[in-house]
Amino acid sequence: MDTLFDILSDLAIAFCVLNALLYIFWLKENNKAFKIFAVYLVVIAVIQLNASYLKLIIPINNNLFLFHFYYILQFIFLTFFYFELLKQKWMYVVLGIVLGIITFQFIETPAMFFRYNPLGVTITQGIIVIYSVLFFYKYLHETNEFLIINIGLFFYLLSSILIFASGNLVFNMELITEYGYHLLLNLNNVLYLGLQFLIFVTWWKNYYSKKTIK
Amino acid sequence: MVEELLFQEDYQIVDLILIAIALLVAMAVAIILFFYFSRKRIIKSELEKANLKIANQKKILQTTLITQEEERKRIAQDLHDAISSKLNIVSLNANMLSLKDISSEETNKIATSILKVTGNVLESSRKIAHDLLPPTLDKFGLEAALEELCEEVAETNSFEVDCNLQYPEHFLGKDKELHVFRIVQELFNNSIKYSEATNLTLKTEMEGKQLLLYYSDNGKGFDVSTAKKSKGLGMSGIENRVAILNATHTLLSSPNNGISVTLALNPGNDEN
Repeated sequence: MDTLFDILSDLAIAFCVLNALLYIFWLKENNKAFKIFAVYLVVIAVIQLNASYLKLIIPINNNLFLFHFYYILQFIFLTFFYFELLKQKWMYVVLGIVLGIITFQFIETPAMFFRYNPLGVTITQGIIVIYSVLFFYKYLHETNEFLIINIGLFFYLLSSILIFASGNLVFNMELITEYGYHLLLNLNNVLYLGLQFLIFVTWWKNYYSKKTIK
Repeated sequence: MVEELLFQEDYQIVDLILIAIALLVAMAVAIILFFYFSRKRIIKSELEKANLKIANQKKILQTTLITQEEERKRIAQDLHDAISSKLNIVSLNANMLSLKDISSEETNKIATSILKVTGNVLESSRKIAHDLLPPTLDKFGLEAALEELCEEVAETNSFEVDCNLQYPEHFLGKDKELHVFRIVQELFNNSIKYSEATNLTLKTEMEGKQLLLYYSDNGKGFDVSTAKKSKGLGMSGIENRVAILNATHTLLSSPNNGISVTLALNPGNDEN
């Protein structure tokens, strides 16, 4: 069973890197939202690779600080991404406020850098979920190239909020068995693979065929 | 024992988290499905709306084409009756003039006849041209054209025409003025042809930023609902023009009670 999940995990990372490369390769002829999303994919892929590398050389879990980069950068890039699609100025205000809160958290407890930050993850992912719902609403009666990606982001971010929010619980091995820990981790992997798959489908349907027609 | 308890508690926590995650996943799926089906429905209804619009436009186009053909037929008839046949007479007479054995008395007679006929033809051609596009409308605007129309109808002496016009110059664009003029012309035509009326009333006045146009006759009227089913070209022509003008119109009529039409016109922004 574990090997299956290991394969899934590796597949998710491979997919993540593949998507980043594909989107970068198609960067030139697409709009600003596409470019922002491509940069987001690259940043996430770099963080993923970094985490995997750290895990490889030092098998103990000490790559948690990367997770802060993950959700903060994700929040920033996806805010810009959704701003391009929704064009609501208050989104920048929300971005500022949330970054302010997280900065304050770090100043207050610098040790948090090596722990999970359930509040930060919940707030940032929750807000992105709200943006994706707004996106659904806006594009109820028209088509948009990012509809499938939006479905993926909505699904993954909403489902994984709890996985990340319970991170400290999971991380604290005294409170939870290794079995439970792995179960949550693998569940996250499966959901993440789904998101990457939908991102790939978007590329395949919207961009790949367009380029080959040319 | 203690370990067992701890183990159980741990499972409870994991179970709780898993249940919550499952709920979130279910919620996400539900929202996505909701979005998907609403989207499908909205697109379907919009498609239906667009199709209806297209069908309506097709109908308007069709009646426009039919009206155009009818108009051509009428012009051809006019030209044939009023001009060609008379020119034939002129041609015949001129032919007779070219004969050698013809007395001067006869020549004079033929010449007078030619003069008379050509005078008639000139008058007819002027009338036809006037019917096609009244020069007054182009030169002096809607108010003058409508006034002239009233006078022309009054000149036939079969109607009492009550014309009361108030119209700020250039309130409507030239294209729209022509449509309004045609509508009034058609209303007059209908009254003259079918209504057996004795009194015709035309009135325009400003109400706020709107121009109101009233038209009524005291003729035999008709049943509006049955007339709508068997729309004559004249009536649908009026309706098409009203649609183009973006105006609202009401038509009231019943047997033996004449007809009364009200038009509300806005200058609008869609004119050139």
